[in-house]
Amino acid sequence: MKRMKISQWVFVVLLVSGMAFWGCAKKEAEPIKVGGIFDITGATSGVGKDYAQGAKDAERYINENGGVNGRKIQLIANDYAYKIPEAVNLYKQYKDVDKVFVIQGWGTGDTNALKQQVNNDKIVYISASYDSNLDDPSKTPYNFYVGTSYSDAIRLAMKFVKDSFKKMFPDAGDRAPRVVFIYPDHPYGKAPIPAGKAMAKELGIEVGPDEIVGLRAIDATSQLLHMKEFDPDWAWVGGTTPSTSVVVKDAAKLNLRTKFISNVWGFDENIIKLAGDAGNDRIYGMAPFAFWGEDVPGMKPAMEEANKVTPGASYTKCYIQGWTAMMVMWEGLKRADKAGQLNGPGLKAALETMKNFDTGGLTAPITFTPTDHRPNTALRIFKMSDNKLVPVEGVSIEREDRFLGW
Amino acid sequence: MPTGLFHTTYEDDEKIFHTLWVKIWMGGLIFFLFAGLPFVASPLSSFFGFSVQHMANMIGIFIIGAHGLNLLTGCTGQISLGHGAFMGVGAFTSAILFMKAGWPFWFSLPAAGLVTAGVGMIFGIPSLRLRGLYLAIATMAAQFIIDYAMRNWTSLTGGSGGLNVDRPSIFGFALDTDLRYYYLILVVVILSTIFLKNLLRTKTGRAMVAIRDRYLSAEIMGVNLFKYRLLAFGISSFYVGVAGGLFAHYNLVVSDEHFTMWLSIQYLAMVIIGGLGHVLGGIFGTIFMVLLPELLRIPTEVLSNTYPNIFAIFGTLRELVFGLVIILFLIFEPDGLAARWHTIRAYWKLWPFSY
Repeated sequence: MKRMKISQWVFVVLLVSGMAFWGCAKKEAEPIKVGGIFDITGATSGVGKDYAQGAKDAERYINENGGVNGRKIQLIANDYAYKIPEAVNLYKQYKDVDKVFVIQGWGTGDTNALKQQVNNDKIVYISASYDSNLDDPSKTPYNFYVGTSYSDAIRLAMKFVKDSFKKMFPDAGDRAPRVVFIYPDHPYGKAPIPAGKAMAKELGIEVGPDEIVGLRAIDATSQLLHMKEFDPDWAWVGGTTPSTSVVVKDAAKLNLRTKFISNVWGFDENIIKLAGDAGNDRIYGMAPFAFWGEDVPGMKPAMEEANKVTPGASYTKCYIQGWTAMMVMWEGLKRADKAGQLNGPGLKAALETMKNFDTGGLTAPITFTPTDHRPNTALRIFKMSDNKLVPVEGVSIEREDRFLGW
Repeated sequence: MPTGLFHTTYEDDEKIFHTLWVKIWMGGLIFFLFAGLPFVASPLSSFFGFSVQHMANMIGIFIIGAHGLNLLTGCTGQISLGHGAFMGVGAFTSAILFMKAGWPFWFSLPAAGLVTAGVGMIFGIPSLRLRGLYLAIATMAAQFIIDYAMRNWTSLTGGSGGLNVDRPSIFGFALDTDLRYYYLILVVVILSTIFLKNLLRTKTGRAMVAIRDRYLSAEIMGVNLFKYRLLAFGISSFYVGVAGGLFAHYNLVVSDEHFTMWLSIQYLAMVIIGGLGHVLGGIFGTIFMVLLPELLRIPTEVLSNTYPNIFAIFGTLRELVFGLVIILFLIFEPDGLAARWHTIRAYWKLWPFSY
């Protein structure tokens, strides 16, 4: 009996050492290594999976198309399940073991948690978090992102609410529009709220009490019933697509007249499936990126690359977001390599030379400067209608200094 | 000549190191941890594919916390689901005192422990009336209350963005690299382990074990239940608070997201997998819980490089295997890794004449 247990132990030891062997077998070539911190299993996996797939496919596309002036790149993709400690572990691995100088990151919480270290270690960190706290280079010189910031999105949403108010609510009379902010109690959800409230105040919009709906929520009835007392015309939803569709569906169930306008991660092709008829003419979304299959020049390579491995593949615009982040990085790497500075500070400087960089229409032209890391300030507002996503209007906001960094 | 160890006095039985060999082994281990690990960390890192130095630091920090919970749950029998939040209290205390009040690190770290001990004792008061599952729920309330405070007391904790913390320096020696910080952690780990081991051999420790084994008998024997339960909560929280303080200065940022319910459960898993009530249990359990997810990442990383189009599936696989391994461990080794360690040691001691 005792002997058998020992043999179990031997088995465990063998297993561990076998895995370790695997681990050392993977080190071989000389590509430019890129750290990847993605959420595939965590709270934001509903949008994170496609993003990671887009980034991974972009890696292959880049290598098939000449790499970085002949050198290949290698994206070391790992899942961190939306947990900050995991992200820190991965960061240390990429820094100490893989010795990367650029990382493709994900969430607001972890990107903010790492911003100081990234700065100390001079590692360029391109995040999928478009949190405005990250766009002031005097504070976070090594943080970049490629979509219109959350704060600019919420400002644009407030403007849209104000400007379209007379048209959309003709019987409201002369009263001010009423808005409520719904978001998860989480850095991603909370980040743009101060900007939204300040903008609402500036525009004379009445703001009701905030409602908290978590990223993994399956029911929002109590929050919506509470919201109903204020009876807002609009509600900002700062979640991801699954949680946004929960809000929209419950609103339909309660027969609320409120319209919802969602942040970038809460509005993609999946909303049609998840919200169903409840979403029609009820949910609007900020769309800084092109949707899957849209007729823009930059879409073709992405779709071809996706179809190469999975014929007939169809992804959401989150795929495009991951893809775009890699394309911008690629351009930066090429420029840095040309300047002979293929390292963290070199890549940072190279990215900061980008002026109206064209992503083939995947997102608005991207500009970084040494004093301003806001990629762009224009996006389109979409709505769901007839079980389709249809554009409402394109909007943009001035690149004002007073909006930098929050 | 006696064949084996015969203890003829109580003092002899309670010795920490029974034989010279154990002392030598222990000395060797400590020597390795101080002098050897820094040299092998870098080659080991490239071998395993994760940062060994970082993992050693994390293990050290969590060992301190696991010792704390082990004292409370393993030795006194009081379950706590609030230790994740208590660690957060320590982390924020040290961070705020160090960064905002300008205290030296030497004071802010013990202060983190003391404040956490106070908070832990407040939430330990229900333990007088509640036990088992009921106490678990009561301490879980602590988790939620502290969680909420950390997230929403923005002026103090920085809200959901968290607080940035600097690495401290001690006597003009800046602990700015992971390796330098490792030595600080190592010293604290050794001190806390020695203290815990010795505590369990004192009157206080025995009173706690008596409460765990049968509180009614303990009370009849004259053990003041309330006092010792509260003391256990206090010491346990002190430990986890110090761990939090160390974590804050190591991680350079603290936010509520580090100290969720999940961390509390992880702490419980550490002491259960390691072995409840064994000092070694906290150490083994922590090493297991910290390293396993990292080791499991290696195959998924390799597979995702080989099959990039379905790599999303492998990420899920890792979580699955993690759960499975823990279940298997609990089935095949319910007494924890520490018990397994004793079995193995006994096996080799008697080898080849085991009977």
